[in-house]
Amino acid sequence: MKRLLVILLLSFLVLSVFSAKIPKDTLVIGANTGILITFDPAQCYEVLGAVITSNLYDALGEIVVKNGQFTVEPAVAESWEVKEDGKTWIFHIRKGIKFYNGDPLTAEDVVFSLKRVLKLRKPPVWLFEDVLGLTEDSIEKIDDYTVKIVVSRKLAPNIVLSVLSGSWGSIVNKKEVLKHEKDGDLGNAWLTDHSAGSGPYYLKVWKRNEMVVLEANKYYWRGEPPIKRVIFKDIPEENTQYLMIQKGDIDIAWNLTAEQALDIKEGKVPGVRLVSIPAQQQEYVAVNVGWGPFKDPRVRKAIKLAIDYEAIIKEVRKGLAIDNFTFLPIGYLGYKPLKVKRDVEKAKKLLAEAGYPNGFEVTILTNPTAIRKAEAVIVQSNLAEIGIKANIQLMQASQMYTKYRQQGHQIIVAGWGVDFPDPAAQAAPFADYTAHQLAWRNMWYDDFASKLTKMALEEMDPKVRAVIYNILIDYWYENGPFAILYQPVQYWAVREEVKGAEEAFAPYNFNFLMEKFHK
Amino acid sequence: MKLWYFIMKRLFLMVIVLFGILVLVFFIAKIIPADPVGALLGGNAPPELIDELKHKLGLDKPLIIQFVDYIKGALKGDFGVSLKTNRPVIEDIKEYFPATMELAIFAIIIAVGIGIPLGIFSAVKRNSVVDHFSRIFSILGVSMPVFWTGLLLLLLFYYKLDLLPGSGRLELFIIPPEPKTGMIILDALLEGNWEAFWDGLKHIILPAFVLGYASSASIARMTRASVLDVLRQDYIRTAKAKGLPKRLVIYKHALKNALIPVVTLIGLRFGSLLEGAVLTETIFGWPGLGRYIVNALLVLDYPAIMGGTVFIALIYSLANLVVDITYAVLDPRMRI
Repeated sequence: MKRLLVILLLSFLVLSVFSAKIPKDTLVIGANTGILITFDPAQCYEVLGAVITSNLYDALGEIVVKNGQFTVEPAVAESWEVKEDGKTWIFHIRKGIKFYNGDPLTAEDVVFSLKRVLKLRKPPVWLFEDVLGLTEDSIEKIDDYTVKIVVSRKLAPNIVLSVLSGSWGSIVNKKEVLKHEKDGDLGNAWLTDHSAGSGPYYLKVWKRNEMVVLEANKYYWRGEPPIKRVIFKDIPEENTQYLMIQKGDIDIAWNLTAEQALDIKEGKVPGVRLVSIPAQQQEYVAVNVGWGPFKDPRVRKAIKLAIDYEAIIKEVRKGLAIDNFTFLPIGYLGYKPLKVKRDVEKAKKLLAEAGYPNGFEVTILTNPTAIRKAEAVIVQSNLAEIGIKANIQLMQASQMYTKYRQQGHQIIVAGWGVDFPDPAAQAAPFADYTAHQLAWRNMWYDDFASKLTKMALEEMDPKVRAVIYNILIDYWYENGPFAILYQPVQYWAVREEVKGAEEAFAPYNFNFLMEKFHK
Repeated sequence: MKLWYFIMKRLFLMVIVLFGILVLVFFIAKIIPADPVGALLGGNAPPELIDELKHKLGLDKPLIIQFVDYIKGALKGDFGVSLKTNRPVIEDIKEYFPATMELAIFAIIIAVGIGIPLGIFSAVKRNSVVDHFSRIFSILGVSMPVFWTGLLLLLLFYYKLDLLPGSGRLELFIIPPEPKTGMIILDALLEGNWEAFWDGLKHIILPAFVLGYASSASIARMTRASVLDVLRQDYIRTAKAKGLPKRLVIYKHALKNALIPVVTLIGLRFGSLLEGAVLTETIFGWPGLGRYIVNALLVLDYPAIMGGTVFIALIYSLANLVVDITYAVLDPRMRI
């Protein structure tokens, strides 16, 4: 028995010494892949899935970052023009693009792919229907390399281009997809774990909750990428990811805690660096304007003045957040910094003026993640200082959003992710109640804010558009129900030997340029 | 009472229990004041899209009709299509269950391998150093959170000593065996793929130990108590009195009877290992059923939640049935 044990232990030792390291042409990313649902671009809507999908396919345009701003560059369409009506778009398809199986990409595939999104009616469909107002009739093939798309109303060009260039706008190989159609599903089931695109990679295998393996597309029109194989290894626990990147068993760690990220940033972890970008989301506190004291704008303003934003950024995010208090992410067209300072005395004065010198009792609703709980507790103590007694109610996100959609909350602490890189994507939910999103859920039925939002939507001149958003931001801050807490910073731990991560992650949330990686 | 009659009776009771669980799970899933479709589509989804999908999934039908549909499906082994993965729930279970089963088998081997000898030693040498050690070991096992033990062991054996791998079932660059049973180690053995076999074994040691440790503690405690109890019986005294060596008395006479209650406990522990491995699966990146169900819970993927729960209830009941039958075979009094 003892001898057997010794032999076992020895063999483990020997095997450990020979354990394989990551080859030079392979990139291993440790991530929690349990959230992946599908790689069908017409269905995929969660961020990790969407950025992987954006590497399997090309869209008409490609979302990149230039001088700190998101912009759309030609991709499948080598050029485009918009007619004077501001609604009719002509896209000229690039010749010579091949899908990874060697088939050529033509206007036929473009029209099929875009109509497919409308036919399947999966989560991203609202971007085509509600934002662009597309129907199947509005997408048309002119010839093999020209496509005409007519949006339902005059829209700022960046809106059209950035919506069409999201992962949902991916061009799939019509012939290949229809070969795998089942019960009229337009290949939806098959595309869940296969790919039929022309992007830098194709999907080799997806073993659920184990790994996603992508292989380089040798026909990629920009040239085969230097990394031949990208593996997303499922490591759900951030502590495990943290240990594994230090040992060199993974090249990139996707989900780290703020403490771990800070250690890497401060150079305490040899061989690993931190790559970070402004995250495309906003964390906020909102009050329900339809509920008691919050009907009075002075009370809403008092809440905004009472919150200790600095403490929240420092305590909850360990400083890894941007003090941006507008609904627009930093760098967006029309963005202007808002100077928001805590002022307890002024807040108390406003409350007294509104007839609540002794405060009132209120419930803060949020979901039980570590971050949200910490935020809610700080807000609770901030409100106590101006005499408002707040109770915290925790609900799982699924339950919380149900209540929120029914306008059943009093105060909520939540977050909002940007759907496409244009100010319209944020202005509509935060300021226009007719969009039936955040402003509506908080019962802020403000016609002026709604009108400004719609004006900006149709304005073709970016300079004028920027001015409209400037005005909207000021009006919204003074009157609206939202206090933006911060814009988070998104970060990844990357091993030193992995180059190109800064470029690859730059357009993150909308795109992830895997072809930029090399070792 | 004949043995087969006893088995029939147990089977019949099992069917009732399972039906009860079906009903309970359905109504609990429906009572939660949350909207699965909203959860599925995320916080940004517009209300029109939510209503449309609800209609498509039949969630706007009266509750009683939904219930009848669900029971009809469940009786045919069809729990519907998971809202999240878009695949039949039963397909998902087939994919994730072998990993959980493999882990549970190794964990129970470790639990029994540690628990029973430890329990016996500490009963036989009561109040000795072995006994004290065993009791401390048991208390730690029962009270240390799996999460904590898992991280500590990972830190020691993976990070510091570099003896064992960090996460997953197999090294990324090792060719896995053809999935026959879905249990990698068994498949590798059947195929003669020694590299995968050894690597699979290396990967399973830590998670199986973490899971098994907690169970071994309760098995050791139970064994100790039961052996002590038996050692006080008259027939043991008789055996001792007629001059049998102590070894023989303990291993031949006492153990057989002492282990009967332990068998029950092992059966129950095995059942709970199948559903209670969520945290271990999370720390060690083990693609098992526990994580599947928890992920389903988070987005209120109710076909997956119901299917998963009923499946685990079925396995649990089967484990119980096997224990009961073993019991009845071992101890005829049970059949009464």
